[in-house]
Amino acid sequence: MSRTTHVMDDLILRTVERHLPFSVHLDLTYRCNERCVHCYLDHEDYGEMTTEEVKRVLDELAEAGTLFLTLSGGEIFLRQDFFELLEYARALHFDVSLKTNALLITPERARRLKELGVRKIQVSIYSADPEIHDGITMVPGSLRRSIEAMRLVKSLGLVATIACPLMKQNLTAYRSVLLLAEELDVPYVLDLTITPMMDGNHSTVNHRVKAQDLLPVLRDSKLNPKLRISPMASVSSDSAVSSGMPLPAESDDLPCSAGHNTCYISPYGEVFPCVQLPVAAGNVRQKKFEDIWYRSPEMRRVEAIRESQLTHCGNCSIRIYCERCPGLALMEGGDLMGAYERACEMAEMNARLAGAESPVSAFHAFQAASGSLSSRGLRPIATGLISIAPMRTV
Amino acid sequence: MNPETVLKTNPMLAWREIDGSIVIISPEHSMVHELNPTASFVWKRVDGRRTADEIAEQLAAEFDVTRESALADVHELVESLVANQLVSALELAEVKAHV
Repeated sequence: MSRTTHVMDDLILRTVERHLPFSVHLDLTYRCNERCVHCYLDHEDYGEMTTEEVKRVLDELAEAGTLFLTLSGGEIFLRQDFFELLEYARALHFDVSLKTNALLITPERARRLKELGVRKIQVSIYSADPEIHDGITMVPGSLRRSIEAMRLVKSLGLVATIACPLMKQNLTAYRSVLLLAEELDVPYVLDLTITPMMDGNHSTVNHRVKAQDLLPVLRDSKLNPKLRISPMASVSSDSAVSSGMPLPAESDDLPCSAGHNTCYISPYGEVFPCVQLPVAAGNVRQKKFEDIWYRSPEMRRVEAIRESQLTHCGNCSIRIYCERCPGLALMEGGDLMGAYERACEMAEMNARLAGAESPVSAFHAFQAASGSLSSRGLRPIATGLISIAPMRTV
Repeated sequence: MNPETVLKTNPMLAWREIDGSIVIISPEHSMVHELNPTASFVWKRVDGRRTADEIAEQLAAEFDVTRESALADVHELVESLVANQLVSALELAEVKAHV
């Protein structure tokens, strides 16, 4: 383990223990100049925070101890005040990462990003084939423009990464994305998670690849870290969407970093434990961030959850092969503490690929025992203490 | 170190006080640094105006150390910060020329 990794693990542990908001994902807008078929956002503007409101939030985050700030959207460069906000954030000494489609990055803007000390720029690329990529973004020429922008920022010494959510449309193209990443000399994240929309609409899930069809990807040891783990190892994975922090092995009783040392703020000022966990904890337009972070019942409830308390997953024998996400458990299974079909399917497949014989998740075993296997996906919504909240307060 | 040397933090860095210690991220080198409480005291006073000797005087006043010991510690720390490109040392004349 490198010294940097050790220091970071130690910092993550301490910020979790002290419940400090170490990393915050702030969406500046939901407006976008692409129309990706799988996107979970409503791109209308229902009253984004003003420049002064965002600056006040940044002041409050700095005061609360946030170091890592991810600015995302929608498309961040559609905000006319983007560079004013970025400059303000850097003056407050945040470590800033950006998520963008890069279509609006010009040479002048790229130079400005470099001058302002942006650490990382994540660009969404779905395929090296323009027909597939542009078919997903619904913007002709978008692949060419995104790649040109990546070359540009790289040439200036900025760190760029590729994020590639895999769906039906680009499943067979994943190898081309890897080759492109190698050619550009940038890291990549392949994300198998296609989430429901933030307003609860599940139409985007239709683009999700069936678990069985993901076998070629899962079998690829270059991509699937679960093929290389021993049964006692702890695993973590990246997401193209969320900005959670990978938790060190010592935190293995926590489902993820959401609400512990990370959170998400929408363009309308709503605070959530994570971009993928739609439990609204309060609005920074009405309350100070610290009041929401430290005192909202919703945030405290999420912070209190421990793996060992999870309904089925807490004692699941194949849990180490599982990518269970608390937000997806809520959105897809209806219970923040529960299991959900997709996670169990994927865990069983990963365990099988790693050599386990006939692996069955605890949830599936429970369903089989109670004779309800045929009703997978149709379980009644559990009456947890937390319910799904709409993302917008309009 | 020249007593007229003024210290300035590298503007490309990200940093925050976490639980009493300064944590610094160097984006250009993908490095994370954590300072102990005494070094954090010094870091918070590196503002492009104060000299290392002035900061050492404040350190001696705040902590139970002699002026000589504070000076030696601050100079050693500053040399390490400069070597890691976290801080730059400017001559006072240089600073005045930019004002």
